[in-house]
Amino acid sequence: MTPAKNILNYSYYPGCSLHASAKEYDESTRGLFKALKIGLHEVPDWLCCGATPAHNVDELLSLSLCAKNLELSNQVDGDLAVACAACFSRLKVTQHRLAENEEKRHQVAYALDAPLALDKPVKHLLEILATDFGLDRLAAAVQKPLSGLKVACYYGCLLTRPPDVPELDDCEDPSIMERVIGATGAETVSWSHRMECCGANFTLSRPGVVLKLSGEILASAKRGGADCIMVACPLCHGNLDIRQKEIEEASGRHYGMPVFYMTQLLALAAGVSTSKLGFGSMMVSPVSLLKEKGLL
Amino acid sequence: MKHSKMTLSAETMNLGFVKKVEQLSGSSVRRCFQCGKCSAGCPMRSFMEHPPNRIVRLLQLGQFERVLAGRSIWYCASCETCTTRCPNKVDLAAIMDALRKLSWDAQGPSKESLVQLANRLFIDNIRTYGRQYEMRLAAVFNLKSGKLLKDFMLGPSLFTKGKLKVFHKKNRNIGEIERIFSRIEELRRKGEAT
Repeated sequence: MTPAKNILNYSYYPGCSLHASAKEYDESTRGLFKALKIGLHEVPDWLCCGATPAHNVDELLSLSLCAKNLELSNQVDGDLAVACAACFSRLKVTQHRLAENEEKRHQVAYALDAPLALDKPVKHLLEILATDFGLDRLAAAVQKPLSGLKVACYYGCLLTRPPDVPELDDCEDPSIMERVIGATGAETVSWSHRMECCGANFTLSRPGVVLKLSGEILASAKRGGADCIMVACPLCHGNLDIRQKEIEEASGRHYGMPVFYMTQLLALAAGVSTSKLGFGSMMVSPVSLLKEKGLL
Repeated sequence: MKHSKMTLSAETMNLGFVKKVEQLSGSSVRRCFQCGKCSAGCPMRSFMEHPPNRIVRLLQLGQFERVLAGRSIWYCASCETCTTRCPNKVDLAAIMDALRKLSWDAQGPSKESLVQLANRLFIDNIRTYGRQYEMRLAAVFNLKSGKLLKDFMLGPSLFTKGKLKVFHKKNRNIGEIERIFSRIEELRRKGEAT
């Protein structure tokens, strides 16, 4: 192990949801990184990445918003750590599209009225934990093993697709989530819907789409024998957790399936105080499950 | 959906439209050889009249009116499964973005394009605040779409769980953000961007 590995330090782009409906993802990320002694410093004045809506309406705007965020990120040292799967995807897509298209590069530079500064490496938390920090060190930092907890790792769309962009793992058969949570002693289940779409931003305009798609995901996790689902995206979380009761009412099936952000489970295992993990913010309470497994 | 007879001739095939889609999306439409993998993996297939591979075939035949009619292009979730699995590197997710833009620019909103209304409000929020104001986005969408009570019952429990942030401050650099929006508009006015 090189000495440099002991002083990991990152700039941090939380994204809009982590300051609002997904604040438990932000709190548990900060708690986990503190426990692992990894530096995490928020980029000042960051703005919305545009997410799916911006590229659905206006690709040039989408690229410009992300390029502006990459420019702002240079104020803070360290590779850019991103928690939200959608922000991660948009920032990486922007780096790729602009690297290969000179015309778009000129247009975005004009929009920003500044030379482009796009080179900061963008890393999802999973990559930081699995590669930079390392699974052995992660396993060594575990104070409360999650043994006996059966976790369905849900990737959704944007952590691995489209190919060549996120560079996180295989785009059809990834294992990085299983490897990371597996380091805590948790058992990961094999299930069919770990990469199917949850209905995404249709939650606002056509919630019926979400009830169908997310309902199939919950049913698949249940069939796989999972106690809970682990996610890395606030939109997936909202669809699976906030809409779970409606899904149950519409389908007549009971799930009662807690949906955790990856950092909530990892921070729990690393011994972070449960008061900092935001379990009270989850619509499907995980309290009885965690008590049953001796984790609370 | 009822299929009307399609007659192909120079008059009924709008091939200029295909070029426009290819230019906007940065993807070839013509490379598709109809293997159907995109439709086999599409999670939104059951909501669409035309499955994704048929959208591409209709584009190849210059049948843009059939492509833009109805709901198919408005029910793509941008999950990127089609783009990932295409053996010919047709970026169908980008083609769907291009089709939505062309449809909105040419025809404006339709009863099927609710998602684009939500998308546009999302973008308005960025221009006004810098970061997304989730509660306002939901409230304004309900107001503008006439679905005033949608998710009304979720409100109190989201509030109790601390998931509804009621107050929202504008970014300090909101002037720089506005400048990005206005300079993109300027590029378009000058015809230097599509």
